Amino acid sequence: MIRTENLTKTYGGLLAVNDLNLDIAQGEFFAFLGPNGAGKTTSIKLLTGLLKPSSGRAVICGHDIQTEPVEARRGISYVPDFPFLYDKLDPLEFMLLVGQLYGMERPEILRDSEELFDTFDLNGARQQLIENLSHGTRQRVALAAALLHNPRVLIIDEPMVGLDPRSARVVKNVLKQRSRAGMTVFLSTHVLNIAEELADRIGILNHGRLIAVGTKDELRRQSGHDGALEDAFLTLTRTEQEIAASR
Amino acid sequence: MYPSTFFGLLLETNARLLRRRVLAIREQSWLMIAVMASFVLGYWGASYLMFHHGFRFLASLPGVGGMVVERMLYLFFAFLFVMLLFSNMIIGYSSLFKSQETQWMLTLPVPAHEVFRWKLVETSVLASWAFIFLAAPMIVAYGLARGVGWIFYLKVFVLFLPFTMIPAAVGSLVILAVTRYLHRRVFKWVLFGVGAMVLLACVFFVRPINAADLQESQMIGALDQILRNSRFTRYPLLPSSWVAQSMIAWGDGWMWKGTFFFLVVLSNALLAGVICVAASGRIFYDGWSRNHSQGSFKLGIEMLDKTIALPRSWLLEPVLRLFPRLDSCTRALIVKDIRVFWRDTSQWSQFVIFFGLLGLYVINLRNVTYDWHNEYWAVFIAFLNLGASSMTLGTLTTRFVFPQFSLEGKRLWIVGMVPFGLKRVLLQKFWLSSVVAILITTSLTLVSCLLLHVPAWLTLLFSATGVLMSFGLCGIAVGVGALFPNFGTGSTANRRDDNPAKIVSGFGGTFCFVLSLVYIAVVIAIEAAPMWLQFYGGILRRDQQPWAMVGAWMIVSLISLLATTIPMQLALKRVENMEM
Repeated sequence: MIRTENLTKTYGGLLAVNDLNLDIAQGEFFAFLGPNGAGKTTSIKLLTGLLKPSSGRAVICGHDIQTEPVEARRGISYVPDFPFLYDKLDPLEFMLLVGQLYGMERPEILRDSEELFDTFDLNGARQQLIENLSHGTRQRVALAAALLHNPRVLIIDEPMVGLDPRSARVVKNVLKQRSRAGMTVFLSTHVLNIAEELADRIGILNHGRLIAVGTKDELRRQSGHDGALEDAFLTLTRTEQEIAASR
Repeated sequence: MYPSTFFGLLLETNARLLRRRVLAIREQSWLMIAVMASFVLGYWGASYLMFHHGFRFLASLPGVGGMVVERMLYLFFAFLFVMLLFSNMIIGYSSLFKSQETQWMLTLPVPAHEVFRWKLVETSVLASWAFIFLAAPMIVAYGLARGVGWIFYLKVFVLFLPFTMIPAAVGSLVILAVTRYLHRRVFKWVLFGVGAMVLLACVFFVRPINAADLQESQMIGALDQILRNSRFTRYPLLPSSWVAQSMIAWGDGWMWKGTFFFLVVLSNALLAGVICVAASGRIFYDGWSRNHSQGSFKLGIEMLDKTIALPRSWLLEPVLRLFPRLDSCTRALIVKDIRVFWRDTSQWSQFVIFFGLLGLYVINLRNVTYDWHNEYWAVFIAFLNLGASSMTLGTLTTRFVFPQFSLEGKRLWIVGMVPFGLKRVLLQKFWLSSVVAILITTSLTLVSCLLLHVPAWLTLLFSATGVLMSFGLCGIAVGVGALFPNFGTGSTANRRDDNPAKIVSGFGGTFCFVLSLVYIAVVIAIEAAPMWLQFYGGILRRDQQPWAMVGAWMIVSLISLLATTIPMQLALKRVENMEM
């Protein structure tokens, strides 16, 4: 579903993403981890076609995102950490707009929106303009809109920011459930226990390079830690100074 | 998805958003609606009267009247065209490359060039409506002066639509080319180069009409000079000249000639649109990706790029040490305000443009020659200069001082929690902005008075007035800024409170600007009253004038005290009870 081949992006002299090779299957829940500035957001922007790679390519749903962007994007939904929403629309109006932009018919949008509003507990917010909603509620509206057209791939950046524990639990359940139903989820996060709890496989990016990829157990083995994912992550992303100091 | 579907959906959505924004006005206070309405009507009324009298005066000039009126139209449209071009480029850049909406649209299953087309339409509407609003009084004044029927206004409105498309398309092409093919570093130097050339051209070539030439005996010579200097506006390849010719022809009743030039405008607008849309295909996406792949924009001036080094301890601290009675909290707030302002690049562009225009004004003062031994002219020019300086200060305080309290917005959790409270934060902002304003006003007044050979006593009077007005205008800006703050909606996706320019564009900013203008008008009217009474009314004798001036200044002092204390007192009371 998501395949990258030697995907590289440079910003002037800075190598933001270096030779990224990924192969994520249909229905897989893939968590993308990395310290601040590791290149996670740049990688996501390359996958969604928001940025052109310096070299290499990204293939989504069988279509190269650069040469067949429209076909590739038909199957993707992207939810950034601060999603764009029209402030003066209410959630249902926004769903209608997004659904129609993805070529859905109005009755179908209304039916699926009802279901998503129930799932994300948005019925209390449906009459209000988006500008009056809290950050967490806006985040849930954005997620509902992203899932409306049943994407084959969901790319999501820091989905739990601003969500209360109940909403976070709902989002986790929905993502897991959709993933089991065949949707590929590519989730970028700093929160290690979310990755630990949800992901089938985890990729760790550091200084633009994919330094480790595998299941939780594989990462633990690779790092030499049997405990929490946090220890494995910290070991794998150690700086040279930290390595030298530990010696 | 068909392009028409994409356009249709966005049109429908934007129509709904517009309707909601208009309906939201009803929820605003009546005071706000009244201020907005009086500002709009006041602008239309004053502009109409100015154009009406201007056209009547010019038309009455023997022999050349009609020609001068026509030339004014050519000049007006040439100026409008340049402004539209710049406006389209500035709005187009932020709309195409910096907007969150564009990023969202680029993730939809829609070709990038469709997104560009939509953004082109949106940009041209956003960039042009204000110019149509500004030009409306002039069109009405011209139409009434020519005695035309209502159909003339309709035709001119239709003529404006394709006219606004040309700068929109050209501006967007320039922006596309710059972002796609020019590295920021090169662009930056090109921009500096063009700016320097424009400044030099203004210094060497712009020669305002000498006031002395406007004496009746030399009027024809001066008009000849105007006509000669503005000949370039008739250049046949300028879109503005087609619009002017079309409007003049329709005003004179030559329907076919007017229609011909309308068709010239229309065909060129369509051609520009087609070229722009065709060129946008791949360039837009490439430019977008490139624009978001170049990191932060640097000015290339070491001192500014590194910052940011400027207001560090080596400069700020010694200056602040000159004031040993300043306590550490106030000192920390002053340092914070100066550093934040210095490092906020969004403030810089406007600040540079603002002071660039101010520089041009001062540079050109040396060309304003008049008989300064003639007391009437000396006083007239001096008051004109005071008006210009005060307006500058009023705009400056509204643009840069008014947003200060709102900008604290999300930082109030720390600034508001410090032991001395928000009242002192507000007072610190008032004193800091007043000191800066006094420095600017006093130097501006002294330099301009020197260049204009203003008599010493008037220079002293104006400097003292400048100090009073600095306090008054800063009192208004800080006070109204705290009374009508704009913290945004509190949503993290809404960055309104982070952008000072957007904070000013709200009700509070408009109210602050109107209040500042009223205050300036009152002060100048009171100070000019003794002169007016002497020169026009003949009521005051020459020996009474100094006393009248002193009296006027005392009244101005009282008004300035009220202008400073009333908004500040109200604001202090408000922040005392403010819930964060």
